Amino acid sequence: MLQVTINGQPVQCQPGQTILSGLRTVRVDVPTLCDDPRLAPVGACRLCVVEVDGQSRPVAACTTPLEPGMVIRTHTPELEECRRTLLRLLSQNYPVQAVERDPLSPFHRLVRTYGLEHELHGKSQAALVDDSHACIHVDMSQCISCFRCVRICHEVAGQDVWRAWNRGDRTEILPANQTNLRDSTCVSCGACVDTCPTGALADKSVLALGPVEHEIRTVCPYCGTGCEMHVGTRAGRLISSRPVMDAAVNKGHLCVKGRYGLEFVHAPDRITTPMIRQDGEWRSVSWGEAISFVAERLGQIVAEHGPDSVGILGSARATNEENYLAQKFARIVIGTNNVDCCARVCHAPTAAGMKMMLGTGAATNSFDDIELAKAILICGANPTENHPIVGARIKQAALRGTKLIVIDPRRIELAECAQIHLQLRPGTNIALLNAVACTIVEERLFDPAVVPEHIGDWAHFQTFVADFTPERVAEQCGVKAELIRAAARVYAENNPAMSIHGLGVTEHVQGTEGVMCLVNLALLTGNVGIPGAGVNPLRGQNNVQGSAHMGCDPGILTGSVPIAERAARFESAWGASLPMRPGLNLLKMIDAANKGEFKALWAMGYDLALTNPVAGATIRTLQGLELVIVQDMFLTETARLAGTVFLPVASSFEKDGTFMNSERRIQRVRKVIEPPRECRTDWRIICDVAEEVGRGTGFSFASAEEIWEEIRTVWPAGAGITYRRLEAAGIQWPCPTEDHPGTGILHKDIYAADEPPSLRRIRYSPTSETTGADYPFLLTTGRALYQFNAGTMTSRSQTQQLRPVDLLLICPADAQTLGIAEHQLVRISSHYGEATIRASISTQMRPGELFATFHSPDTFLNRVISSHRDRFVQTPEYKVTAVRVEPT
Amino acid sequence: MTRLPIQPDVKSFYHLDGVDLGSVSCQGMACFAARHTAGDRWEQIEGRSPRVYCLGKCYAAPASGCDESQPVAIVHCRCPVVLERIACGGALTLEAYRTRGGLVALERALAQPAERVVAEVEASQLRGRGGAGFPTGKKWRIVASQNRSPKYIVANLDEGDPGAYVDRMIVELDPFSLLEGMAIAAHAVGAERGWIYVRCEYPRAVAMLRQAIVSAQNSESNGQGFLGTDLCFEVELVVGRGSYMCGEETAMLNAMEHQRPVARARPPYVAEQGLFGQPTVVNNAETLASIPWIIRHGEQQYAAIGLPGSRGTKVVSLNSLFQKPGLYEVEFGIPLREIVEECGGGLRRGSTMSGLIIGGPLAGVVPPTLLDTVFGFDELHKIGASVGHGGMVAFDQRTSIAQLVHHVFRFGAYESCGKCTPCRLGSTSIERMFTAAGEERPISGTGQQRFVEIIEALRLTSLCGFGTGLAEFAQSIMRHYSQELRACFK
Repeated sequence: MLQVTINGQPVQCQPGQTILSGLRTVRVDVPTLCDDPRLAPVGACRLCVVEVDGQSRPVAACTTPLEPGMVIRTHTPELEECRRTLLRLLSQNYPVQAVERDPLSPFHRLVRTYGLEHELHGKSQAALVDDSHACIHVDMSQCISCFRCVRICHEVAGQDVWRAWNRGDRTEILPANQTNLRDSTCVSCGACVDTCPTGALADKSVLALGPVEHEIRTVCPYCGTGCEMHVGTRAGRLISSRPVMDAAVNKGHLCVKGRYGLEFVHAPDRITTPMIRQDGEWRSVSWGEAISFVAERLGQIVAEHGPDSVGILGSARATNEENYLAQKFARIVIGTNNVDCCARVCHAPTAAGMKMMLGTGAATNSFDDIELAKAILICGANPTENHPIVGARIKQAALRGTKLIVIDPRRIELAECAQIHLQLRPGTNIALLNAVACTIVEERLFDPAVVPEHIGDWAHFQTFVADFTPERVAEQCGVKAELIRAAARVYAENNPAMSIHGLGVTEHVQGTEGVMCLVNLALLTGNVGIPGAGVNPLRGQNNVQGSAHMGCDPGILTGSVPIAERAARFESAWGASLPMRPGLNLLKMIDAANKGEFKALWAMGYDLALTNPVAGATIRTLQGLELVIVQDMFLTETARLAGTVFLPVASSFEKDGTFMNSERRIQRVRKVIEPPRECRTDWRIICDVAEEVGRGTGFSFASAEEIWEEIRTVWPAGAGITYRRLEAAGIQWPCPTEDHPGTGILHKDIYAADEPPSLRRIRYSPTSETTGADYPFLLTTGRALYQFNAGTMTSRSQTQQLRPVDLLLICPADAQTLGIAEHQLVRISSHYGEATIRASISTQMRPGELFATFHSPDTFLNRVISSHRDRFVQTPEYKVTAVRVEPT
Repeated sequence: MTRLPIQPDVKSFYHLDGVDLGSVSCQGMACFAARHTAGDRWEQIEGRSPRVYCLGKCYAAPASGCDESQPVAIVHCRCPVVLERIACGGALTLEAYRTRGGLVALERALAQPAERVVAEVEASQLRGRGGAGFPTGKKWRIVASQNRSPKYIVANLDEGDPGAYVDRMIVELDPFSLLEGMAIAAHAVGAERGWIYVRCEYPRAVAMLRQAIVSAQNSESNGQGFLGTDLCFEVELVVGRGSYMCGEETAMLNAMEHQRPVARARPPYVAEQGLFGQPTVVNNAETLASIPWIIRHGEQQYAAIGLPGSRGTKVVSLNSLFQKPGLYEVEFGIPLREIVEECGGGLRRGSTMSGLIIGGPLAGVVPPTLLDTVFGFDELHKIGASVGHGGMVAFDQRTSIAQLVHHVFRFGAYESCGKCTPCRLGSTSIERMFTAAGEERPISGTGQQRFVEIIEALRLTSLCGFGTGLAEFAQSIMRHYSQELRACFK
């Protein structure tokens, strides 16, 4: 500690603090305009100047470090007079209406505090207004040159869209393209709006609907990063969201979806009453009628065809509590293990592969390890678009010197700042990753502290990978051997090295094995169990980690434990016996339905008609079921094409609960507004149906917290997590007791274990999906920044205006050969079906390869996708389909 | 070290990128003070865009870019340190430099431990000649003591202060003295790379430095290293694009990194985190050019020259209103009057001195009544003036105080980087205020109070020496020309 005197009072401060942060810890408020805790201080506005004994002039508190014994005065008449003069200079041409409209913005507050509101003489100048962007209004008449937008765009977002032009009092803040924000490279994260102290940059939603009345802290409903946000409301409507400054993951940053993707909650086509389909037409009914219909039909089907003719899909968009109840309902009310969730189509291979090799099927490390890593291997993931906060953190790390290796068929944004980009041919992951392992072994780049003593199967592995020399696999992977070797060196020689992967690894016929190859690399190089390292999946949806972990998986119970091992514990906790017959995952449910063995599906927040591969066949199968219960916010494709009954639910902004992010962090989801009209929470609906079928005892809960309390009793690794503790911050499991801080890094002692972790010899069995004369292109699919999965949320929010259509990326040479122009509508066809989509000519792509997004039902891209599946967990091979493209 | 290509937004900061300097006219302070000699042309010059504040030809003001005349260079002291060669025509080649005493110091320095060289420079009591007067040896010691490498030596040749052409003449006529000084500094602090930032307004200096660097790096006389020694040292030349601000060392470093050249907040200090965040010595050209003399003749001999607190000599440059404009090397301790009357020979016929501006417009004005003040850092500081770069601009009865204030703040507003509030907006406010006063209309309303408040904000809250310099100028006007100033206000 370091002792200073502030305004006559002795104060203890932390060494390394600036004067400003010292002042803040003792709640001495000095005005600032250019300061933002997210940014490096620059000392531009000069309002925070303070007097320090021994200094000839006042110093800026924001840039000056505290030193022992400093005697600081913050509010002398001389300082206050200077502040008033500076504010007067800033005010002289400032629009008076701006202050009237929004009296609470930081600058406007200061203008009023210093009594300058009557000295404002400016007005908004049309030439300084840029209204081009769908979500962000720009009026630089209100710019006071604090440079916070320029700095946050560089230091946090890493996009460098906002730039300062010219100098002196001619300084102008304009996008890099010097035209307007819409046409710039802006990624619409809104960080500039968030930091702007005047309102020169403002959310259009707030300008249109008025200032925020209430704010509630909750978790973003989109990807698995788990960003925390303050959601602002006015008159019961969501109108804004701001990042939580001290949030564990996002640290004061949000992406476009978290910031401008919330309007779907108020979408006009939201279904707000239960409905039953009669003679092909939807009819609104009361909850009573809907619940008894569901209970009755389920009862009939179970009676007629047995419990295993029914299946339930939990939702990656619902809370842990709700997913827990969904699988509990399936197992003890219906009596089947036919329960699954959308982890099946994304990271089930990660959970399986990592569990087999390391014992836990979840990220070994945390996002905070990004800043500790010396090298980061990004395989089959495009974080700057799909996990933009993680992407931004990786990009900043790269700019600070962390070495990046990108393995991806596309030249994604992060490839631009990577040391090495292995632009492999889709479907060749195993060969490539084995070649990296081969290089590590051959060039003896492994960690000698670990290999061979503390690793299993070393001898066999060594011989096995020797066949995968980079030189041998180079051609089939489409990557130069030397580049593969260089990547191996960067990964192995920069310790700690972190591995981050996405669906480009898992959505393949060898998806589970691809993950295991990544674990091999981490094990060989000593990158397990230490900070800045590990194997880390980027989970696609807010609670996909949680939905499977809560037991929405045919083979596992809450806490990811195999049914056979732990049935007894659950049976005693639940007071009911568990079905021991193996359950069907969602793809096998479809298979069983085709054989006439599966009759009823209850899909919670899951539009499988749109998102399953071979969509045409999936839809026909769904249409053949006796009962399809769709529990959702909107009439999804599943509901529209095959639904029998529709149960309208509350969004995550309309209920309490918890989500679990990619790094095993449980965070509180809080009710911000009331659900509209008849909408109910998922958990309440499950309880209502259980009650209706006379099984209400295990399903009588008054709140989400009560459900959580039950979860704690059956899940030892979550036993220490309580709602009370979550008020302060999220907690990463394992957290076995209430005084346990949670676990950021798993497997700390793995190499010291009696049975050391084993390497796995992964044979390369390439997909049978190959190109030929009829289908000469390889298509890989994925998401884009402004849209999310089935588009259910993003297509009903401001985000829709930012990217209204799906796009097929094609390289310039192929586009030219095929005579395809930018944004031309093209037809893609495969063995399985066809779709039409707009083409976009992109240098991200290599010849012979295509990339398409699958967000819109208008495109229905999954009609084209193949039926191949991962051989361990049946995850579909979304990433490789042989197709033909032709102009329409 | 990463340096991306310069971006268009950064380029837009500068005003002389791609401008043909042969066709420009100068409106720096010396040219302004001599504007009557241009007659009607002056109004046209002042209206030109982009503006050029100082071509370093203040001896021939109002100057034009195509004027090739050179000033006289005269030694007016016992012991010339800087003008020794220059007063006799200079040393344009490495050979000429060597035959005239060059490189002896470097060889001597290289034969000594680095620490000893730092100690010698410390003992010489040399203070920086760029304006701030920071002890050079102390600066070197801080850099030498940093445990990080690489370290860099940066020579500041952005002599932007209107009125000064000292550094320009040093590198045009004796460029190797600068390179030798840099090499000694490199040895002393453990640097392997050096940079020279030179302003584009000095095209001949740029050309001389280019040649000199080539011969310094390719000299094969003895060793394989720099200047024919064994020293491993490389020098890169960076040419400015038009911005007074780049003379401020942190802005200069930003410019060299292709960042927007605005001032950085200190701490961290440049010696600890300078160019590309590395420990960096930034010295002005005259400072570095003095180093070889100090090492060759010994620190004691240097410390015996001048005054306590202001050791050694200083080159001053006199403007065209003097009878004998030009460069003069004087010893600290000489009365200002001697510089004005003996070196300069007084003002030209028809001119009565209204004041002397030393060290550029961002400094205090010396009224004629204080010409008996002794030339030295502390002595000038006491009367609200400073040594600065050593430019001396006399102004006469043709320039009113209102016009002078307007000129200085017009310059200030044009050249301010715009990062900090007081300088960006305060300089413009005062320029605007005195635009009216210049037309002999008193400044109305609360003007005087606002003037005082803004000057106070500039003095107390500016981020760098640019804003505080403007305040120093204004304060000296308030102090020494209060009557004239009062007349500007209602």
